[in-house]
Amino acid sequence: MTTEQKVLTVEQKVKNIFNKVLDIAPEDIKSDAKLDESLGIDSTEMVEISVGIKKEFNVKLADNEIKKTHTINEIVGILKTRGIN
Amino acid sequence: MNKIAITGIGIVSPSGMEKRAFWANIKAGHSKVNKITRFDASLYPSRIAGHVHDLDAYSNISSRLLKKIDVFSHMALVASEMAIQDAKLDLTQENLKRVGIFMGNAIGGWLYAETELRDMYLEGREGVSPFMASAWFPAAPQGQVSIHYGIKGYSKTIVADRASSLMAIAYAAKNLERDKNDFILAGGMEAPVTPYALLCCNTSGVLSQQNAQPQNAYRPFDKNRDGMAIAEGAGILILEPQERAKKRNVPVYGFITGFGTTTDGVNRIDPADDGKQLARAIRIALDDAKLSPSQIDYICADGAGTILGDISETKAIKQVFNGNAKKIPISAPKSMFGNLLGASGALDVITTLLAMEHKLVPPTINYSTPDPECDLDYCPNKAQTKEIKNALVINRGRGGINAVLVLQKEGKT
Repeated sequence: MTTEQKVLTVEQKVKNIFNKVLDIAPEDIKSDAKLDESLGIDSTEMVEISVGIKKEFNVKLADNEIKKTHTINEIVGILKTRGIN
Repeated sequence: MNKIAITGIGIVSPSGMEKRAFWANIKAGHSKVNKITRFDASLYPSRIAGHVHDLDAYSNISSRLLKKIDVFSHMALVASEMAIQDAKLDLTQENLKRVGIFMGNAIGGWLYAETELRDMYLEGREGVSPFMASAWFPAAPQGQVSIHYGIKGYSKTIVADRASSLMAIAYAAKNLERDKNDFILAGGMEAPVTPYALLCCNTSGVLSQQNAQPQNAYRPFDKNRDGMAIAEGAGILILEPQERAKKRNVPVYGFITGFGTTTDGVNRIDPADDGKQLARAIRIALDDAKLSPSQIDYICADGAGTILGDISETKAIKQVFNGNAKKIPISAPKSMFGNLLGASGALDVITTLLAMEHKLVPPTINYSTPDPECDLDYCPNKAQTKEIKNALVINRGRGGINAVLVLQKEGKT
């Protein structure tokens, strides 16, 4: 399996969390879309997402990490730094 | 009080959604109180309630938002949309900084709260939804309605037990009188058919335990009464000054012309047994409306269905109306759909307005054995034809809260 395919898998899993937790249609979830501006995600929804990430990847995102995250790509990037590929 | 017109009605109730279905059930005297099956209530002393069944069919709220709000906010959103449509309002043409929201409830969003509390004990801190922070609290419906429509005017949430929404409607009328808003969405919502909320209502000792016959359990003013049945739902009204309603050329259901409120200062649950402070609230409301007791055609009673509640309410009415008390039809329409606690006042106002429109006094159902201490005309079991020009709505809450609203059919000429 190539590195690119592995990243895509994590990305798809993260998108699925957005779909499952917030009921946002998968086609509306773009990897580079601004979470707050394009998807209208507020602070409590981001906490819910981080709970979903903890359950899926067993990775706990710190509050300041969540606050700094602006796109799905950035979330995937953080997961990569924690060894999720 | 100047005359404040009611131009829109939204109803989410066990007796039906929207005014037509609701009134058909009220007129016919149908009971909508049933056994609770939504959760296992078999060990509760009282396990009956009025349930709302069709909420989703009337809702245009996204599933994304529904995950973040309690059902009491959902009911408020659905009833608000019905009221806005009914009043023929186009909010895109209104100055939303001059639109207000005045709503009341007694217990908040407990379905959400207790589910999350359970998760906290089972799964720990991380098991609790972050939406809990904004879902459960009593002002949440006000917030959700304001967000949904972009409403930005002077608004308020009133928590005064079972008098909450009647007070919210009254204070909305006062707000319009002072020209703080152009119009207001006023009313209440309650969703107490949940395990913990039902338990709290049970321990307060005011619920009927006639579980074998749910539809006959809530029997206000009957000698064999043993308390109320709880219910869920929402009632929202559109309130605006008479002149504005006239300018918009929309039908007016009736006018709010007087309000009175007092407190008993006696007991944390029971009302004072002498009814004196409730009588004083009725007099204050009549003075506010510049009406004499002899001009009242109908009283929509609190009708708690408790021994003390009904006797003290009867005493208060007698103190104000003296010899005339027996000639005024009094009824507790909530005997049909249950007591919506903080939202009961909104449903009582709506029922009274529809009674004015249809010239029909709604019945108190399940009345079979007269109580010598409750000896007035409670309009037993069958609706009575009568033209209603002026009516009182009485609501009372635990801790001795008394609230009385005056409704009039006709406006200023």
